[in-house]
Amino acid sequence: MMKNDLKFRSPTFAERIRGMLGVDFYRLFHTPVFYIFLAISAIIPAMVSAMTMMPDPEGNTMEPLYSNVWQIVAASEPLYVIKSIADYANMNMVFIFGGIMVSIFIGHDYKSGYVKQLFTTHAKKQDYMMSKTVVCAFAMACMCISYLIGGTAAGLLVGYETDVNVGSLLIAILGKIVMSLGWASLYTFLNIIFRRYFGISIASSFFFGTGILIIGAAAVVENLSLPASFLNLFLYGSSVNACLASNIWTLLICIGVSLGWTLVYNLLGTRLLYKSDVY
Amino acid sequence: MNAIEIRGLSKSFRGMYAVDHLNMTVPVGAIYGFIGENGSGKSTTEKLICGHLVPDGGEIRLFGRDYTEPGVRVRVGALIENAGCFPGSSVYQNLMMQAINLNLKNRDEEIHRVLKIVRMEEHAALKFKKCSLGMKQRIGIAMALLGDPALLILDEPINGLDTDGMRIMREILVDITQNYGCTVLISSHILGELEKIATHYGIIRRGKMIMELSAREMDNRAQVFVSLKTRDTEGAKAALSAKYPGVREEDGYLRVYDVDDTASVVDYLMKNGHAVSEIQKNKIGLEEYYVELMSQKEDE
Repeated sequence: MMKNDLKFRSPTFAERIRGMLGVDFYRLFHTPVFYIFLAISAIIPAMVSAMTMMPDPEGNTMEPLYSNVWQIVAASEPLYVIKSIADYANMNMVFIFGGIMVSIFIGHDYKSGYVKQLFTTHAKKQDYMMSKTVVCAFAMACMCISYLIGGTAAGLLVGYETDVNVGSLLIAILGKIVMSLGWASLYTFLNIIFRRYFGISIASSFFFGTGILIIGAAAVVENLSLPASFLNLFLYGSSVNACLASNIWTLLICIGVSLGWTLVYNLLGTRLLYKSDVY
Repeated sequence: MNAIEIRGLSKSFRGMYAVDHLNMTVPVGAIYGFIGENGSGKSTTEKLICGHLVPDGGEIRLFGRDYTEPGVRVRVGALIENAGCFPGSSVYQNLMMQAINLNLKNRDEEIHRVLKIVRMEEHAALKFKKCSLGMKQRIGIAMALLGDPALLILDEPINGLDTDGMRIMREILVDITQNYGCTVLISSHILGELEKIATHYGIIRRGKMIMELSAREMDNRAQVFVSLKTRDTEGAKAALSAKYPGVREEDGYLRVYDVDDTASVVDYLMKNGHAVSEIQKNKIGLEEYYVELMSQKEDE
């Protein structure tokens, strides 16, 4: 620090966002939460696969949840209404773990008071929303990959079939990774709303992450014999749509829906931060 | 140009004004002591300046610019309530995060420089949660000092510190202003300490600024008095009251206000049959001035 001059140069958008992203990535890689959630993402699919192959106390082998390794990653077809745990227990679960991770990550900003440093030096509130969304999306994408590795390894060890349309599988995986951005923006927004209440933040992330609202809507749609495809306009619907029967349209829908909701949640979050007290 | 210029700033919580049409002027290079009782609105004002709270109305300008300008805000360092550090991370890691946030180039060098200023070089590897209160406050100052802050906003930085901690903090603050040319806005309850470093004062009460003055003006306003001790305090008091209008008893001593000639007081008492065992010329301090001012305001 030199003897102070009183010249004030406004940092460019790129400089501002680089600073904010730098802090968030540094934090992500230097705190155990990220690694714990990576491990959880790998262990959970392995546990689900292994446990369903274990005999019950009477010695009867349980009905396997899956017949194919890749069903651990994505369902065979878009299943908006869940009929069994197998329909649910695929890579979409990352969006639940991810929600909890985002709550902890953002919650610590407030709990430690570090957010004061960020908002003191960053007058533009969109820096915070954008940086958190990007970093949390990156973390969730890593968790998707971790889930893929854990689930595939467990499936192969258990001895499930491996037949798959490789193109559809890759699109399904990419689709879910792309959806991480939309989910991260939703969780960031929820955590901005409930920033003073850590427990409610986690609960709300869990609630939305499970897709309960869309599952409910899907049930109504099914009963009314309406086309289910409009559910793809929502994060959960689009995430479910990325399945083993995916094609290039599925990926494009995922990209559009994820970016669209990211924009909406970022705008809403930024507006909320501008209009309300941040700490 | 002023470092901080506030006009008509207001902030209410649930219909109650925490800051009520407050005006404030902090000159560049000043150490501005921001004084007020608990709940008077000091921290709220500081949070408003830092952009943590949204004002109901009014204007805040920093170095002649709107306080929401990124260029000016990036040069504000703050220690509000606590250091704002991650407890599980080391002192160095916490400072590194702030250095990255500010896009500093020579991060490692900068971190060691501020650690040296706050005398924490040897504790860089220590986890923040293992630090004592005094150390945490100094780390908070170090965080605020990273980069090239033109304005430091410090909320009660000496609260809870022991005598040595207060001395170190005082030396750090004087160093910052004298050697680096920072303007410092500092709120504190420990007026005796503030008096040693402040160049300007602002006194806030119930969200309103009731007085702003420089240390020199404060010095001119501060009443001089002669403090003395006699065997017959009551008799001496009665005798002195006949000649001097401001006579008061404090802790067994008699105070004769607005008098700085000790010899005349001693002569007068001797003539009235009172021997003086101790006598001293004094000036009332910031604390007494503040208490006096507050009691006047209470009466109004």
